[in-house]
Amino acid sequence: MSPSLPLTPRLALILAAGLALTACDPKTPKPADTPAKPPSAEPGPPKAEDAPVDGGAEQEASEPLPPSPTPPVQPDTPPPPSPATFDHGPAGALPTGQGSGYLDRTVWSANLCWPLKEAGFANSQVYGPGGGMGPAGKPSQCDSSNYSLPWRDNFCEARSRSNPLCGSGTGHQGQDIRPATCKKNEHWAVAAEAGTITDIGTYTVTLVAKAAPHFTYRYLHMQMSTLAVKEGDKVVAGQNLGKASNDFGGAPTTIHLHFEMRAGVAGLTTDGRPVALQTFLPPYLSLAEAYQRKLNGGTCS
Amino acid sequence: MRNGRWILAAAVMVATTGLAAVIVTGVTAQVRTEDGASALTAVRAPTAAFVRQRAQGRVDWQGAVGGLRQSGGASDTLAGNLDRAEVDATRVPILLPNDAKLAAGARIYSFGDYYTITADAPGAGISLSGTTAVVPLPSSTPLKIEATAPEYLTVQRTVDGQLASFIRYGVLYSVEIRCDAPGDLRCTDDNYVLGLVGKTTTVVLGAAARAEAGLGG
Repeated sequence: MSPSLPLTPRLALILAAGLALTACDPKTPKPADTPAKPPSAEPGPPKAEDAPVDGGAEQEASEPLPPSPTPPVQPDTPPPPSPATFDHGPAGALPTGQGSGYLDRTVWSANLCWPLKEAGFANSQVYGPGGGMGPAGKPSQCDSSNYSLPWRDNFCEARSRSNPLCGSGTGHQGQDIRPATCKKNEHWAVAAEAGTITDIGTYTVTLVAKAAPHFTYRYLHMQMSTLAVKEGDKVVAGQNLGKASNDFGGAPTTIHLHFEMRAGVAGLTTDGRPVALQTFLPPYLSLAEAYQRKLNGGTCS
Repeated sequence: MRNGRWILAAAVMVATTGLAAVIVTGVTAQVRTEDGASALTAVRAPTAAFVRQRAQGRVDWQGAVGGLRQSGGASDTLAGNLDRAEVDATRVPILLPNDAKLAAGARIYSFGDYYTITADAPGAGISLSGTTAVVPLPSSTPLKIEATAPEYLTVQRTVDGQLASFIRYGVLYSVEIRCDAPGDLRCTDDNYVLGLVGKTTTVVLGAAARAEAGLGG
């Protein structure tokens, strides 16, 4: 169930460069002055079929998790408050031993459309209850703590996959989002921007945004047999794509949406060399602001 | 071994296209930092020069036309099954692999300054993309990745495959493979994707690109 809040005027976002891009939500109201604390959705009852066969690790058991270096030193001056006032942990913060974190505070997709039709809970499907590295004594992925605030960033969570923006150079590459309840095949995932569906894999759907810089959004683990889109479809922001599930090719994972955001970027390597590449950007702050806009009554179309 | 493979892939690219000018467009994107500062202004000096170079140089059309000539008849043959309207709307040089089977069923989706081609291989999907729309990273966000090969070739392991990026003709290109089976060797190491990069040398110019290159329609 989506929490509802009173409508207020929209907060004017300060854009970095002023290029007018397709707006996901041009009439989004301004967040409330006081922190909005939406009620947590009630998780559905656990089902045997929901148990993740792979432990929710999203990678082969033969692939060891890389060692987790010390989290990066945080800036001396904390960043100013975000327009997202619902209860969410800071960007890049990971519990000790779960990854290297990052310092980036950029809201990469300032008008992102919240990619679920209803509420959702950003946290770790691996380190949460029922996950492959979850806490002892909490074997159910439907544990209420997985379906409660606060949100937690897991873009740089320890994985063996490349993630150049993380301190270790490896990480999760996206954000895990649990749907409103612990029930698969019920909650719609929707288009984060207007664009084209350019690829549908065995458990992935790829959306390329029409507006520059043409972010590539990848949605993993939807119910692939009942997708509402096919390759080549042009979609508008907020359009139904498919239902959050646990599809993972063969063995299922936990019920969650793995949400990735990629773009062509130019910058410097950690040893000072210029580089340009297609890579993963942290979606957490863009998601948090998109979710706050939704809580404030904003729509995507 | 790994270095040897990279050198081989790079050598193929350099031999077929010449060493491209390393230039990248900075896009004024709808991006902001939490303190409201422009990501553009936060870019460190060497990167700013890198981005400025691209802004002045745009696409290296001379190099791309040279690549088109080297491609010969392969250009028309391999692009024959692509949607012509999408090809013609693309304002950057399109690169295709010299692989008739892969090109046969490929689909192209164009956004003008960005295109992506989706192709099918047995048990896998392939994507080939090119763009001049590139976001500069703020100085506080260095990238931990090796990028010393020619054409700034990088390879990243993804959740389901391998993603290679390189710069040619002033355009950022990427080649990606995604495998259905997690243990598919084409996706567990970078041999396959580097091989694919090595043979992605056929240049296709649609109407918009030909106009930009001064070749007329």
